[in-house]
Amino acid sequence: MSAPPIRLAGGFIRGAGQERLLALVLAAIVGVMVLVPLAAVVLGAVGDEDGFSLMALADVLASGRVIGNTLLVGLGTTVLATGLGGVLAVILVRTDTPWRGGLEQLLLLPLYITPLLTAVAWSWLGSPRGGLLNLLAQSVLGPVGSIVNLHSAGGVITVAALAYAPLPFLLVAGALRAMDPSLEESARIHGASIGAAFRRVTLPLALPALLGSALLVFVQSLGLFSVPAVLGMPAGFYVAATEIYRLLNSYPPRVTQAAGWGLLLLVVTAVLVALQAAILRRRSFVTITGKAFRPRLVHVGGWRPVLLGVVLLYLLAAVVLPVATLCWAALVNFITVDPKLMSFDLRHFSYVLFTYPKTLLATRNSLVLGLLTATVICTLGLAMAWVIVRSRGAAARFLDQVGMMPLAIPPIVLALGLLWSYVGLTWLPLYGTIGILLLAYVTHYLPFGLRALSSAIRQLHPELEDAARVAGAGLFGTLRRIVLPLTRPTLVATWTLLFILSLQEISSSILLYTAPSTVLSVAVFDLWEAGNVNALAALSVMQLFATFAALLVVARLRQKAVAA
Amino acid sequence: MSAAFVSVEDLSIAYGGFQAVDRVSFGIDAGEQVTLLGPSGCGKTTTLRAVAGLERPSAGRILIDGKPAFDGAHGLDTPPEKRNLSMVFQSYAIWPHMTVFENVAFPFRVRGRPSVETRAAVERALALVDLARFAERPATMLSGGQQQRVALARAVAFGTKLVLLDEPLSNLDAQLRLQMRDELADLRKRLGFTALYVTHDQEEAFSLSDHIVVMRGGRIEQAGRPQEIYRNPQSRFVAEFLGMRNIIPCELAGTGEGARLPDGTVLRGRDVAPGTAIEDAAIAFRPGDVRLDDKPGEGQGGSGVVARSLFVGDVQHVFLRSGPVELCAHVRPRPGLDEGRTLFWRVTPEDCLILRK
Repeated sequence: MSAPPIRLAGGFIRGAGQERLLALVLAAIVGVMVLVPLAAVVLGAVGDEDGFSLMALADVLASGRVIGNTLLVGLGTTVLATGLGGVLAVILVRTDTPWRGGLEQLLLLPLYITPLLTAVAWSWLGSPRGGLLNLLAQSVLGPVGSIVNLHSAGGVITVAALAYAPLPFLLVAGALRAMDPSLEESARIHGASIGAAFRRVTLPLALPALLGSALLVFVQSLGLFSVPAVLGMPAGFYVAATEIYRLLNSYPPRVTQAAGWGLLLLVVTAVLVALQAAILRRRSFVTITGKAFRPRLVHVGGWRPVLLGVVLLYLLAAVVLPVATLCWAALVNFITVDPKLMSFDLRHFSYVLFTYPKTLLATRNSLVLGLLTATVICTLGLAMAWVIVRSRGAAARFLDQVGMMPLAIPPIVLALGLLWSYVGLTWLPLYGTIGILLLAYVTHYLPFGLRALSSAIRQLHPELEDAARVAGAGLFGTLRRIVLPLTRPTLVATWTLLFILSLQEISSSILLYTAPSTVLSVAVFDLWEAGNVNALAALSVMQLFATFAALLVVARLRQKAVAA
Repeated sequence: MSAAFVSVEDLSIAYGGFQAVDRVSFGIDAGEQVTLLGPSGCGKTTTLRAVAGLERPSAGRILIDGKPAFDGAHGLDTPPEKRNLSMVFQSYAIWPHMTVFENVAFPFRVRGRPSVETRAAVERALALVDLARFAERPATMLSGGQQQRVALARAVAFGTKLVLLDEPLSNLDAQLRLQMRDELADLRKRLGFTALYVTHDQEEAFSLSDHIVVMRGGRIEQAGRPQEIYRNPQSRFVAEFLGMRNIIPCELAGTGEGARLPDGTVLRGRDVAPGTAIEDAAIAFRPGDVRLDDKPGEGQGGSGVVARSLFVGDVQHVFLRSGPVELCAHVRPRPGLDEGRTLFWRVTPEDCLILRK
């Protein structure tokens, strides 16, 4: 045949290489974002001004008590929160307990109240001296000493578990919904009782979700700063995160030891991630297809009020009491349990709004950070998720692994690494601006965005994009005209969640802020350390109600989108 | 070999160590339809997607309208949007966030065509598939058959000379499939585009194609005109895939002497590749060509006991067993085909094929 001469137009090569170029650029960005601070923590822990040294690490390993406390809080919180979240998920997804729909919405509120505020409120309620519950008990029962003491290991664990239970709840509820009810039905048909079917079929299938959420909670609570800072430090109970904070705030700052603690936390979480992977690798769970089923409800009959009571009790402890306490403290002139002395006005609000110097700056910084964090993660996350889901190369695997890595990096360790990497970089003046906070937030929350957007893209049939390519659209045209509009609902939801989450971030902010780059959560913590409890309450109440209002608007918008 | 409109030369596609397509070559003349036919996993869809530019081959060459679209030797890989072709996807790939009109107008809009031209062409295409009145409807509010028509309209509206069709009828129910098959044939006759079609359904392949390429395990097993392939399958695989249910291993006594079946029956048949080496000899015939009688009669054949007899409507499937030989006959239902009876079967030499591999 008459073969025409081969024309190598540059555009052709460029066209086919666009995907690879995009993947490489993203891999470079994520690599710098995640791996540089990690490397900095490792290097910082094994070296000081004089070069390589294991002194700091030896110091760290010698502080057995703090290590023990950290593990105790980590494990205790994980077990309690996962158990609580799992039980709540089973009750609300699989039984005919009344008011399930509404209760499920309320169960997410602790995420927005934040561990910091939950801890502050419970500290007022349950501190050994001056705790409202103890004062109340004394005024009713006479001098009985303290009936509860939350300034203790138990207090830290209980409050952290209350705050984190919604995470396992969300993941387990999702897994229960994604499970084909016919799997359980066929177990019943083949002779299993309800209990046996649950134990032998449902529970093993929900295991990945349970383990995954346990790991998530463990990493969060291992590096948890706010709850041990509020409830532990007054009692001299230190965990790794508060120890890092103490070391950096002592004079002179003991940075090498702080990095040593960071390295220890990293190693522990890495071991656990590996363990989880090993447990899950032996099973393949093709039954969870991402398709939503209508779960079959178990009729619990006389147990309905009991199960309802369990859910309500949780909501009382995690939502109602903390919010009510904060509102009360924001309005009452000074903290007292004597009704005759109580008087209410808005003086604390007026102080926080017009006198307290940090409010305006912190609010502005927090809002800017929230907007930027959510926008950057949505953009970066969508591009990364697309590459991860649609391409097969090594760059895609790198993006997937490194992009999800921050899930296993406690935020306070990330902050340490960022400090190490960027303090003193004169050609890149990030430190001292909100830039370094932005970097911390984007890195820390990237996995949340990535996970949500990956599953959104996985639900798009790839042929929708193929059809656009064949019809004449380029790679970026396809992303803009097909992928972006079809993932818009997920993008809106993810953006909102990230915005709210970054307004509350404290574990990394507490190490990275400077006077001009202070943020709301740090301002709240400052008020706590200064003992200005009423102002703290007023500031948090305003923040909480702004958050709830934002959530309501989003819920309303989503309803409208569904109705249209 | 004349200059074909599409020419695929020594195309290979590998994923890691797996060879999905292995040195496949075929051509499509302008205005002709070629169908890639084969069971799932044979590499037919992968080949089609490589022609579209959606799959990156590891070696070979693809020319479309005289221009190279892929050339492994020169590292050339034209992206799909530059190949100027259109495609109907198995899932239809109708974009759910657009109306019917917007779906069909997409190829015009991404290429920045004037809206007057777009409107005229889209309306013409929608009228061709009888969907003109649904233009403003959201694409999600259509039935499966209607979505299929939107996909067709989108593929033909822009007037690309080459249309690729990836199992376009496989998601439709049986009745609708027959109707759409006829409409598809009609549409191609009217518009005259060149088509590459992928299916696992032999009837679709036979009724729509000018040429058929039967694939197996990433390679071409046999290629030719529909009648030719139907009449002369060259291998057991093709014979079986095209419905020759009776494929009985046999001994070839020599040319013209016939084939000896394991139960001793000797049959004569057409030798599809006389003179070639015998790898794995068998004799093949279609169940519909078998005649069943109560007593011995004229012609070649043997006898057997009815092992199973299934009434399936127009025909009765009768399975006979004679020693190690099992065979199936499709005959008109009548009394006397009950299990356990001994029947005599007949098949003409013209309907028997001697396969050497």
